[in-house]
Amino acid sequence: MILTLFWAFPVIGALFTLLSPAFNLRARWVSIICAAMELYIVLQAGAGFWGGHLASLSEPGKILTYGISYSFSMDGLSWALCLLNAFLTVIALLSSWKQDLSAGFWASFLFLEGAVMGVFLAQDFFFFYIFWEAMLIPMFFIIGLWGSENRKHAAIKFFLFTFFGSLFLLLGILALVVFHHQSTGVWSWDMDILRAPNHGLYAILAFAAFVVGFGVKIPLVPIHTWLPDAHTEAPAAGSIILAGVLLKVGVYGFLRVLLPAFPEWGMKSLPWLGGLAAINVIYGALSAMAQMDLKRLIAYSSIAHLGFCVLGIASRTAQGLAGGSLQLINHGLTTGALFLMVGFLYERTHKRGLADFGDLVSQAPILTFFFGVTVFASIGLPGLNGFVGEFMSLSGMAKVSLPIAVVGVFGVTIAAFYLLPAFQAVFLGERNSASVSPRVFDLDFREQALLWLLIIPMIVIGLHPGPLLNIVGPAIGKLIL
Amino acid sequence: MEPDSARKETMNSAALFLRLIPMGSGISLFCGVLGVAFVGISKKISAGLIRTLGLLSLAAAAAFVFAQPASGVISSLLCADAMMKAWCGVFYAGALPFLLAGTWTDEVSVLLLLGSLLGMTFLAFSANLLMLFISLELLSLPVYLLVALTPAQGRPSWEAAIKYFFAGSVSAAFFLLGLACHYSATGGFAFAGNGSFLDQTAFSLMALAALFKIGAVPWHFWLPDVYEASEPMLSGFLSTSVKAAGVFLLMRLVEYSQASFVSLLPAIGALTMVFAALAALNQQRLQRLLAYSSLGHAGVLVLGVGAWALLGATEKGALPIFFYLFSYIFMSNGAFFFLELTGVSQWSDLRGLGKKRPVLAFCFAALALSLAGIPPTVGFLAKFLIFWQAFKAGLYVPLIVASLATLAALAYYLRIVREMYFEEGSPNLKLEKMPTVNLIVSASAAYSAIAGFLPWILSAFQRVLG
Repeated sequence: MILTLFWAFPVIGALFTLLSPAFNLRARWVSIICAAMELYIVLQAGAGFWGGHLASLSEPGKILTYGISYSFSMDGLSWALCLLNAFLTVIALLSSWKQDLSAGFWASFLFLEGAVMGVFLAQDFFFFYIFWEAMLIPMFFIIGLWGSENRKHAAIKFFLFTFFGSLFLLLGILALVVFHHQSTGVWSWDMDILRAPNHGLYAILAFAAFVVGFGVKIPLVPIHTWLPDAHTEAPAAGSIILAGVLLKVGVYGFLRVLLPAFPEWGMKSLPWLGGLAAINVIYGALSAMAQMDLKRLIAYSSIAHLGFCVLGIASRTAQGLAGGSLQLINHGLTTGALFLMVGFLYERTHKRGLADFGDLVSQAPILTFFFGVTVFASIGLPGLNGFVGEFMSLSGMAKVSLPIAVVGVFGVTIAAFYLLPAFQAVFLGERNSASVSPRVFDLDFREQALLWLLIIPMIVIGLHPGPLLNIVGPAIGKLIL
Repeated sequence: MEPDSARKETMNSAALFLRLIPMGSGISLFCGVLGVAFVGISKKISAGLIRTLGLLSLAAAAAFVFAQPASGVISSLLCADAMMKAWCGVFYAGALPFLLAGTWTDEVSVLLLLGSLLGMTFLAFSANLLMLFISLELLSLPVYLLVALTPAQGRPSWEAAIKYFFAGSVSAAFFLLGLACHYSATGGFAFAGNGSFLDQTAFSLMALAALFKIGAVPWHFWLPDVYEASEPMLSGFLSTSVKAAGVFLLMRLVEYSQASFVSLLPAIGALTMVFAALAALNQQRLQRLLAYSSLGHAGVLVLGVGAWALLGATEKGALPIFFYLFSYIFMSNGAFFFLELTGVSQWSDLRGLGKKRPVLAFCFAALALSLAGIPPTVGFLAKFLIFWQAFKAGLYVPLIVASLATLAALAYYLRIVREMYFEEGSPNLKLEKMPTVNLIVSASAAYSAIAGFLPWILSAFQRVLG
């Protein structure tokens, strides 16, 4: 029941939030209480993962029809991502606290949270797909209703693009189901049972369909073009969830579905996946260098960072897989914090161009401090979380293919070339004479508290990643070649 | 001798009565027709009375259908098999919203509606091709008249009715031609063919008639005009019950024939979807848009029938088609009834609805997303089952085409959501007090939004199908 509660509780909470104006309740309070309770549920249910005396939790359901069964399971990786989801939802809700927004806004985030929980927990492919698609609808509304100027275009593009990817995912799933039926005569949708045959054209096609389906969400170059638009136009809270949580489901799909289901093709395609990831790293970094808009810059940096995750996973070594999964959490924290701060800046000035600011350190030293720490975490400074994840991914890849790892190292370097100049231009550099941005007030208590909540884990993971690695370890252990 | 013969007579009449029970559904609908006509003659027409009579006869018909044992030959013309219950259920359910909510000012419309349902009931019961043809005409003729009598606001529908009538006549002519070929090939009107070339031609011609009725491309030309010119609630009936009758006809023909046209059905279905998606993109009037949407759904159904036939045309295999039709009853009726309720006719009328009337906008958004087939709505589950059937049948190319058409169609379904929520403006509504219509829209939206998440519904369907 507890796993059902994971996804059902936020959904019910969202309905309550939607109805709250009718009962004269403040929607934002209802939503934050639900989100906090959900965070508590997730922490409570997964407490066993901390000490390592719980490897997985499952909720098998009986078969309903056509082999579809309502069953869920959770291992360490799923739990860590659920925790990230619940945590970032609280942060995202609090980040927009002062804005005057309708009940739908607060409810959408809870809907989204529930759908993402379902994706991380589903054991049955049918429900996996339903949750996968259900994520689209609230995000579509978040971007389209509460985004900035170009929001309608971005929302439609986001929807069509990711829906297109999902069609491929569906084809892949169907192919797996049919393969299984052909070999055993039984219909099943269980992720742990379905395996593709080791040879044959259809197996390759199904594999490619999965790569495209998950690749759109990660996003892999060249099917990434929805991301910069969506991230830029979404409201700050939307960007936090979009970058912090929604990008993770693609990589999670690689780990949970793609590699186990295609034992043979998963292995043969590794150099290709590694190459794609390296392209992602370099392409994302180079594109980020050219951006003049802070949000767009961070969006492109996400493409590069997710490249590191795929890079680590594609090595199929113990370090690589652990580093890739760790990087998922890291990216959620750092990019979440960056979008949060850009959101604060945008709230104050309604600007987000690099040239619109300058010398903010004299006006907002606290913000500058937080931004600096986060930028360093994002670049991968030792002692902060980004370093651990990137280092492990790259060292895993170096064992398998040195050239790809070298390309990846260049990616790390380029990160300094786009993030530091941006930091300098906005916070340290001379104030641009053309910029007429008004005085920026420094962060208030709520904003500082939110940022501490994000930065403390960054430092803890950076100095002592052991506990987190122990949690995800058993889940990815079976993928090591 | 005297009591004996009397007893015999009673036994005879009892036997006759027993034999009539399976016909109960038809008889109750016929009584409904007579009753409504009688009320009409008496010149003291009240909408409530007519509606009650119609509902009573429909309820009695449904009760008879479901009490019926699922097998057995009733006579040489009528039989009852397991699928019959499900079919009658679909026909009746599709007509129920129209009967419940229609503004009945005269008895003729209700009479025609019940007459059409009578035809559908006989269609489901038909045991041979001749009966099939007669019931097809019985169900079609009242519908032509209904279209003529129930125009959309301020738009004469005579032209559409005549167009519909001619299309229907052409289809009937094809059917008759096929029937004649079948007769000369086999010497009877039984469903089963003998596989000769002439007989294959016969089944192809009759299937052509069915495709005409469904409105599959390239025999779709009448459909958008008719659906646009009728009152939206009538369009809801046309796009559900009447279309379901066409699908039933097609399935009956496909079930018994060994003709090679079956392999064309998936292609026709996929093409219909593509055409409907592309033609709808540039529509300005919402009712016409929904007509094209309905055309797209007809395409899915034809694809599904093709897959069903290729997989062996079993009773169990028909589950996806039933589920699709059943769910489509909610989606289509809901969407058309929304137009009736709000009186919106153009894109710009929808603007700002999300802010002004959040509940109404939510309903229409749920219906539109469900029609588009986006999880977790029921439209997805329904479409998914059909596509899966096609996948099993190995119809990869039509499937890919159909998937792309679904994606293209998404553009205009999303536009509905976009206009309601993202565009600024004040919606142009002509809201009248129509509690029943309101209820139907909300119930349909609720079903569309939630049922996709409950594959339990499918198990329930499997139980009905036995």
